Amino acid sequence: MSTTTLPQPSEDKEKEKATAAAPATTEVSGARALLARPALAAFGLVLVALIVGALALDGNWPGALNWSSGIKDGLDWLSNWLTDNRATSPLFLYFLLHISNWSEGGVDYVFTFLNNLGWLGVTALATAVSWYVSGAGLKVRSLRIALLTLCTFGVFGVLGVWEYAMSTLALMVVAVAVSAVIGVLLGLIAGLSETGNRILRPVFDTMQVMPAFAYLLPLVLIFGIGSPAALVSTVIYAAPPMARLTALGLRGADPAALEASRSLGSDPWQRLWTARLPLARKEMLLGLNQTIMMALSMVVMASVIGAGGLGDKVYQALSKDNVGLALIPGSCIVLIAIWLDRVTAAAGDQLDTSPGSTRTGGDAGAIALEKLGGWLAWGVFVVFAAVGTLFGPIGERSWPIDWTVSISSPLTKGIESFTKSISDGIPVIGGTDVWASHFTSWILNPMRDAMQASPWWGVLLLVAVLAWMAGSWRAGLTGVLSLAVLGALGLWDKSMDTLSQVIVSVLCTLVVGVVIGILAARSRWVMRLIRPILDIMQTMPQFVYLVPVVALVGVGRPAAILAAAVYALPAVIRITTQGLRTVDPAAMEASRSLGSTGWQQLRQVQLPLARPSLMLACNQGVVLVLAMVVIGGLVGGGALGYDVVYGLQKSDLGVGLSAGIAIVCLGLMLDRLTQSAGTGKRGGTK
Amino acid sequence: MSETAEATESAANAANDESNDAPRTNEASADSPVISIRNLWKVFGPKSARMRLPHDEQVKGLSQTELREKTGCTAAVRDVSFDVHKSEVFVVMGLSGSGKSTLVRCLTRLIEPTAGSLDFNGQDVLSMDKDTLRELRRHRASMVFQNFGLLPHRTVLDNVAYGLEIQGVGKAERRERAAEMVTKVGLDGLGERRPGQLSGGQQQRVGLARALAVDPEVLLFDEPFSALDPLIRRDMQEEVIRLHREEGRTMVFITHDLSEALRLGDRIALMRDGEVVQLGTPEEIVANPADDYVRDFVRDVPREQVISVRRAMRKAEKTEAGKGTELAPDTLVADAIEAVARSGESARVVENGRTIGVVDDARLLSVVAGLDEDAVEGRGEDGEPKEVAAV
Amino acid sequence: MKRTRIIRGGVAAAAALALAAGLSSCGKADPYYSGSPNTVTLPIAAWAGSEANVAVAKQILEKKLGYRVKTLQMDEPVMFDALNTGRADAMMEDWRGVPKKEKKYVEELKTVVNAGELGVTGHIGWYVPTYFAKEHPEVKDWKNLPKLKKYFQTPESGDKGQMLEGSPSFSTYDAQIIKNLDLPYKTVYAGSEAAQVKEIQKRAAKKEPFLTYWWTPQWLNSKVPMTEVKLPKRTPGCDKVPSKVDCAYPYTALTKFMNRDFAENGGKAAEFLKKFHWSTEEQTKVVKWMTIDKMDTDEAAAKWVEQNPDKWKKWMPN
Repeated sequence: MSTTTLPQPSEDKEKEKATAAAPATTEVSGARALLARPALAAFGLVLVALIVGALALDGNWPGALNWSSGIKDGLDWLSNWLTDNRATSPLFLYFLLHISNWSEGGVDYVFTFLNNLGWLGVTALATAVSWYVSGAGLKVRSLRIALLTLCTFGVFGVLGVWEYAMSTLALMVVAVAVSAVIGVLLGLIAGLSETGNRILRPVFDTMQVMPAFAYLLPLVLIFGIGSPAALVSTVIYAAPPMARLTALGLRGADPAALEASRSLGSDPWQRLWTARLPLARKEMLLGLNQTIMMALSMVVMASVIGAGGLGDKVYQALSKDNVGLALIPGSCIVLIAIWLDRVTAAAGDQLDTSPGSTRTGGDAGAIALEKLGGWLAWGVFVVFAAVGTLFGPIGERSWPIDWTVSISSPLTKGIESFTKSISDGIPVIGGTDVWASHFTSWILNPMRDAMQASPWWGVLLLVAVLAWMAGSWRAGLTGVLSLAVLGALGLWDKSMDTLSQVIVSVLCTLVVGVVIGILAARSRWVMRLIRPILDIMQTMPQFVYLVPVVALVGVGRPAAILAAAVYALPAVIRITTQGLRTVDPAAMEASRSLGSTGWQQLRQVQLPLARPSLMLACNQGVVLVLAMVVIGGLVGGGALGYDVVYGLQKSDLGVGLSAGIAIVCLGLMLDRLTQSAGTGKRGGTK
Repeated sequence: MSETAEATESAANAANDESNDAPRTNEASADSPVISIRNLWKVFGPKSARMRLPHDEQVKGLSQTELREKTGCTAAVRDVSFDVHKSEVFVVMGLSGSGKSTLVRCLTRLIEPTAGSLDFNGQDVLSMDKDTLRELRRHRASMVFQNFGLLPHRTVLDNVAYGLEIQGVGKAERRERAAEMVTKVGLDGLGERRPGQLSGGQQQRVGLARALAVDPEVLLFDEPFSALDPLIRRDMQEEVIRLHREEGRTMVFITHDLSEALRLGDRIALMRDGEVVQLGTPEEIVANPADDYVRDFVRDVPREQVISVRRAMRKAEKTEAGKGTELAPDTLVADAIEAVARSGESARVVENGRTIGVVDDARLLSVVAGLDEDAVEGRGEDGEPKEVAAV
Repeated sequence: MKRTRIIRGGVAAAAALALAAGLSSCGKADPYYSGSPNTVTLPIAAWAGSEANVAVAKQILEKKLGYRVKTLQMDEPVMFDALNTGRADAMMEDWRGVPKKEKKYVEELKTVVNAGELGVTGHIGWYVPTYFAKEHPEVKDWKNLPKLKKYFQTPESGDKGQMLEGSPSFSTYDAQIIKNLDLPYKTVYAGSEAAQVKEIQKRAAKKEPFLTYWWTPQWLNSKVPMTEVKLPKRTPGCDKVPSKVDCAYPYTALTKFMNRDFAENGGKAAEFLKKFHWSTEEQTKVVKWMTIDKMDTDEAAAKWVEQNPDKWKKWMPN
């Protein structure tokens, strides 16, 4: 009998269910197409109104809608109440102080443990654990990671920052653990419940965009200085990626496996433990990886409030104008980041390659060997832990040699002469210093003045219409509301100043990032060359490159913009390259078969198809540049960033927190605009 | 097997009406159905419209598109009734979107039916509370899925043991039973692999072993082999036939593949737009399509492989009584052709030692050519009862 | 849907349970942190002088008195919070820059006590580089600033002269002084001391003029000599109301503060730190080793301790 397969062999249940909703969606997209033209007209109208308004009318935010004094008084009162009642209020005695004491105790415990192990113990332990989680055995990868670990810890010792590194590591261990637990819990809520997801999404956005400087102060008031406040602020910043990726994993779990589990009569808890969570484990591990990176970026920040560690070293070196000295702890932070990134990535890949893949059938010897390896690693761990805690140090506690000074001086000299020669040593075309001052006079100043002179209602309208054109009234509403909050906080002018810097910075980042991204996507050689540079740029504490930036362009807004662009560039390059690389190979082949040149391929196939990625790059660029607004305040960016720093350093909750909220509002508006532009366009091409 | 009940049923379904007051069999006698469905509906769409639909006389006979335009609802299962008997392989077949996958999920309420009644061994499934329902899923009906639904992070053995784990069976015992099942489906030695390292066919064997491990009364298959390539699909079908022969377990099998349905099914329910268009043995469906849709559907089936000589024979003339090769009534026409060709003369169809008819070249060729339908109908006029092939 | 609701409920319940268990097991918490008795915690502010004080104190406490010293980087106002809760024991150099906190903790809550003067006198003022002051001696009087504004113009300050400011943590009334004296200048914030130092060095290397908020003692002064612009003389109460300030900054005797508990029960360490008192010149010497000579902080401090036994022996507890 021949196998008679009917046409349309695959049956799509989902489709069957979704058909009910189909007419509605077609209607919507039809309506959108209709709206496109009037939106364009409205855009033109608003633009005209803006210009007229800027020239003729008073564009200041109306005083009646300015609630800044009320908000500031409230915050000042809160700040006073917190200091007065810290030792007496039951809220503190029975709740907040416990958190504070637990975190202090936790970090102290880990630090004491590391300290008791001594340098030999810690290095051996870390190497053994890294080797084990990355697959153990004699595989190239696990050995390479073991070697990387060994080098990382060796570098701590050789550069004389052992104790600081241990202090940072202790804080990191506790912070990452807490972030991961909280992230998973939040991720469960967002992943299992649609309502939960809707509520938590803006919360996560706020947690990530709110500059840490803005909430360090209230945290210090509530939890006290040192590890507790540092821990809580790190958790606030680092938990969202874990939560988001956990939720993503839970939502994206293979529905067939879940249904199979249900069909076998599992109850919800069983399903969660045996199917949902294990199925999301890859995403969760990626989340952990992201969380670690985020947590590391808070290390230097935490030094502002006395959490100690490598950040202290960075600060002290900078106040002595010694970049080379700051680079040493800075590169140690980079090393920790690279080390942890590689280890978690290897552990993630390990989840996929099951034991069976390497050992087939009768390889009992290999199994035994690997098991032995595992036990050996744990054995080493237990022995070191026991000996370390019971009998104190093994050998010397701190590293015997110290090359700090000999490395840092030539570094400093090198960087200084390099920045000096570019800043004004280039004949004919001037140098960065001259460019920066022209840039300020000809681009930044007019732009800021124009934005500040535009009437507030015009800007609101413009944002609304832009969002409308991008195809989402919801985004428009969020944008308009966020801008209204800026006005109500009394920060309209400062926000416009910051906004002008952010826009310029994002544009610069995009232009440079996309060009480099295209180059990297077209040539493996370029990619290989820039990859380590990108790694370093992303993990190097931003404080380290503040001083060279000032050396290049001088104090002022160009410095802030340059610092932000340097920070946002790696992500933009990565996303662009990724987007161009993953363009459908069939489309590329088709284009090649028609005889198109490389440039034509890029312009006609790759860039249009990679548009979603490019929009994502734009969105990420905005978010990252905003994250640097505060750092920009440290090199003369002024405006909101300066206010946030001022609030923290002068203990002025009113100024600091309202500027922080203003940055979040700008972030929400820009994020929603760029995001809806991305999704809107994608919907259109469908 | 009660022929009358079945006749009523297939008639009712073919005509798609008047089944509202079909008899409900509640007593648990030996030949009572394992699963009994009456007037089952599953409607997707806005709640108010959804609940009203099954009682709305006007929607009958509307196509899915018309129905959606009129009510905003999609009726994935429309007024379906049938019984599944012990130890039979009951196949539900239809094209994409005919509602067969929804139907099989309704059986254990993985999808909640909108209206109708559903009995499992005389027990009302629709009124079960959560715990009872869970017991049903754990012990009495387990399912094999099109996309396997294996847990990638577990070994084959642990995947097979998963159902037992959910039941709360201890580790040693469940692993032992899982190992047995792994052997039974021919995956010896692969127990420690992960699903990702197996071929599609092997993965589905794991799915099958998982379903078997809980020793259910009924196995439900939702297009289990449609993701596999043709050769492996055939292997797996053999596997199911072998298992059925060995264990005699009741099976409900969903497929869109007609040849698969014909190979495996003791009885086949053919669905279109959520309705059962025809229900009968493979032979009945091929030989006697209920309407043009079914006829179109079975046109390319090699009829001699499905139809038996009982349907092809004519009355024996007196002279033929003692001559020629003897054939059983359910011999396939294809085999009869071989016998007739070999002997060079017509063959006798013998049942219980009595010659009940004769097949000759002409009768057999008319079956192959598809001309036998008229002949059968003509025979019906003779007043002889329609016979149903025994299973 | 129902199932997920159950899970959600379960998760919430578990979290609540864990929280409740944690709370009930601990009861009332101790609001003040107490470190181990032989460890002294000294906060370091973001300027080099502060680091020098702590480094020298650390050398003596550890080598001569047998304590373990833990140093922590933090901002000036945060130091007061740290002293308040006992997370830090003593701060060695306060510029009286956070009167709000001082009032709250020293006068109202009495958790922080004044531990005497450091011996160093600090002075804030408006400064120009000496090479510029030599060319234009008239700059030393504030009245001539409007005439000289063209030398100080930058793109950031537009058509006004630029008054370079430092970190927001510094105490400054410059914006008010400019307004009250009606000067055509605009404050431009560097945002951090590091950025301000870099900017000054950069301009000094090119011998460009600049006007900056600056102070002594400052290590950079020995590398880039500075000359003060004399502001109107101080009159009693001229800086009482911040918005009406129109006079020069005072000379401030830098002060030490301590956690009250440490001051009373800190034993030899507390006594030593109270007696710690050195001159502006001594501090500047150590800071110069640390910054311009790029010597390791601890080495610089050890060098000073070795060279000046007569000075630090006077600080030893009886």
